[in-house]
Amino acid sequence: MDFTPIIDGFGIVLQPTNLLYCLVGVLIGMLIGVLPGLGPAATIAILLPLTYGIEPVSAIIMLAGIFYGAQYGGTITSVLLRLPGEASSVVTVFDGFAMAKQGRAGAALGIAAIGSFIGGTISIIGLSVLAPVVAGYALDFGPPEYAALGLLGVLLVATVGNGGKLKAVIAAALGLLIATVGRDTFTGAERFTFGNLNLADGIDFVPIAMGLFGLGEILYNLEENHKKVHAPAKVARVWPTRQDLRESKGAIARGSGIGFGLGVLPGGGAVLSSLVAYAVEKRRAKQPERFGRGAIEGVAAPESANNAAATSSFIPLLTLGIPANATMALMFGALLIQGVQPGPQLVDQHPDIFWGVINSMYIGNILLLIMSIPMVGIFVRILRVRPAILAPITALITMLGVYTVNNSVFDIYLVIVFGIVGYLMKKFGFDPGPMVLAFVLGTLIESSSRQSLLIFGGDPTGFVTRPISGTIFAAILLVALFPLLRKAFRMRRGDKQPEPAPERLPERETTEAK
Amino acid sequence: MTNVRTRHRVATAAGAATLALVLTACGGVKTGSTGGDGATGGSDYPTKSIQMTVGASAGGSSDLISRAMSKGMGQALGVAMPVVNKPGANGALVAKELQTAKPDGYSIAIQNASLFAITPLAVSASEAVKVDDFDIVYGVSRDDYVLATNPKTGWKSIADMKAAGKTIRYGTTGVGTGAQLNSALTFATAGIKATAVPFDGGAPNLTALLGAQVDVSTMQVGEAIENIKAGKLVPLAVFSAERVPFLPDVPTAKEQGFDVQVSQYRFITTPKGTPQAVKDKLVEAAKKAFATEEYKKFNEENNLTPLELPGAEVASMLKADLESNTAKLKQFGISLASNG
Repeated sequence: MDFTPIIDGFGIVLQPTNLLYCLVGVLIGMLIGVLPGLGPAATIAILLPLTYGIEPVSAIIMLAGIFYGAQYGGTITSVLLRLPGEASSVVTVFDGFAMAKQGRAGAALGIAAIGSFIGGTISIIGLSVLAPVVAGYALDFGPPEYAALGLLGVLLVATVGNGGKLKAVIAAALGLLIATVGRDTFTGAERFTFGNLNLADGIDFVPIAMGLFGLGEILYNLEENHKKVHAPAKVARVWPTRQDLRESKGAIARGSGIGFGLGVLPGGGAVLSSLVAYAVEKRRAKQPERFGRGAIEGVAAPESANNAAATSSFIPLLTLGIPANATMALMFGALLIQGVQPGPQLVDQHPDIFWGVINSMYIGNILLLIMSIPMVGIFVRILRVRPAILAPITALITMLGVYTVNNSVFDIYLVIVFGIVGYLMKKFGFDPGPMVLAFVLGTLIESSSRQSLLIFGGDPTGFVTRPISGTIFAAILLVALFPLLRKAFRMRRGDKQPEPAPERLPERETTEAK
Repeated sequence: MTNVRTRHRVATAAGAATLALVLTACGGVKTGSTGGDGATGGSDYPTKSIQMTVGASAGGSSDLISRAMSKGMGQALGVAMPVVNKPGANGALVAKELQTAKPDGYSIAIQNASLFAITPLAVSASEAVKVDDFDIVYGVSRDDYVLATNPKTGWKSIADMKAAGKTIRYGTTGVGTGAQLNSALTFATAGIKATAVPFDGGAPNLTALLGAQVDVSTMQVGEAIENIKAGKLVPLAVFSAERVPFLPDVPTAKEQGFDVQVSQYRFITTPKGTPQAVKDKLVEAAKKAFATEEYKKFNEENNLTPLELPGAEVASMLKADLESNTAKLKQFGISLASNG
């Protein structure tokens, strides 16, 4: 491997102008990440004209900074306001917000920043060393593999959240149903669009999440008589304790690995990575019941994973010319405007761009970590703001943010509708998390399985005979049957006891005894 | 207790006020840029910024073309020409919006031919967009399609593919697109058994072909060209009357004996009834934009062929294309809406 281009890349990044663009990028990214609804895609679209006059490398360094900077910022609203800005941070909400309610918001944000830094950095190293290899394996993932992954994701949705299993399943089913809205991409048939062209492409993630989480929460809090207003105001420590760090060490490492691996897959990689990372931690945990009630691993794992995934999603763009998500599509456009064609030849034809962007991410991640330290202290104070002031401001910013995504007033109405749904769900004890996650995965599962069946000529055995999808289906079986097997095993062991105890009780005891 | 209740009420009121504020603010943006002084017949046009809407997300080819044009035309007219992305229904959302906008020249859009000549064959009549509902100001550029395969298949031409003698699985970029129509017509004229696998847009379609998940795919030249140059994809045919200058070695489908040539092309549109003086000024500005070196370079880099024609010619092209597409689909008994 020839290291000269990599070192030249550092030379490019360390030029003062490029460092400045990197700083500007991550700063903007972090700020827009904090504003609910306003995502990196909308921001980059707005800033695109500004990049016309800049050197291509500087422009892409700045835009990339906005993208991964937003991942850092997005955590802040997930933890403090229970408002996930992106599908990949929905999972963080559960334990992050629970921690904030316990006065541990600083610890949650601190561990998220550290996890994001480590996840991002591990992923950049992976990107530098493995990009071409990993890009090849991403191509082995066809529709059958995506269908299997999506199915695994939906199964894992049930492990997320703190409501009852049955309620999670009901919410997830509703999410799957909402995912079917829109013009069918296979036949052109209209499904649940009621002749409204605004619904032809289905519903976007942003209005659903902003409505269910953001507005729903605000409406619910208005009804509550603010008894809990000052509960979270006590923010004793801004930084995670040594014990927090020790507890989340493994979660961060595993989350980073999972994020890097799944983030490479264009289409759904980032969401799946945070979900899988969370589920893995919960399964490994000695006391899985802590999850959803403020377990620090429940923040560390998905945050490390989604940042690692954000970084590795550059691999398909830079090595194959495939944009993995809406933001990457914009980067693709930005490169085209600059007269650079992203594709397999990019690394040879424009090594300055390829390595300049990758190496700028090392610097950007360090900048973000440094900025996070004072920022956490400032943002945590949001919790001291009275809801009477905070709620309308949040509602306003959310609405504006949602509008910017598609420049659509219709999306604002959607937020209001889903806000009411979210309020009702919360009132009746349903968690919106499973619904949103199932919604995101629903489209993936449906279109991938239909594509698969077309490829197989209608023969469903293809799903299990292909090596990768077969393995994933085996994993699904394992995940689905594991609790049953464990129960059966415990019951058998229980038989030896003189008095067969009720089946639920011993399970609790054994887990708590550990 | 009363204190709590007042606070509660204040919060509710504040929340409601915020909602109202946001809604009116957004409504205001919309009418503010489209309404105004169109009644003068356009002699002093333009006096304020012109909004150019795009029916696709930022970053795609429709968006990039609109941005390149808005830059050149805005300079020529001396006003700002902000590009606003309103993705939805393959551009039909923007079409419907433009149709009802005030015909004063302050709302314009560059629209795609496929929306007028192909999509109507796949969606219900009420959703079909018609040429006569708009004033077509001027043509912009053409974007050709290429049929490509994964090198693993070893095919070099349509004949090779036919000789393979199996049911071909082909990727498309969705229902009612030029990619789908070109493929369907090719397989029908060549008598090859084939199943369409629709993907949601260009990127997943390209991914599937690169990973050999499908046998062949039809894509726009710009989407495929980098992978063709790198040898990761093998082009089988281009669907144009003559060879595409960016891929001079690739024979057309017609050269190979299959008369299939559907292209994507784009043109400037305004709402029906826009004053002639306004349209003349837009044409003049477009011509100035076309003439700049920067724009010419943009076309080349994005593999676009200029199609700088008067609006009336573009309109008759669109109508002719819709007719011939309808006739061909009927001839071969193909339906774009219900495949496999």
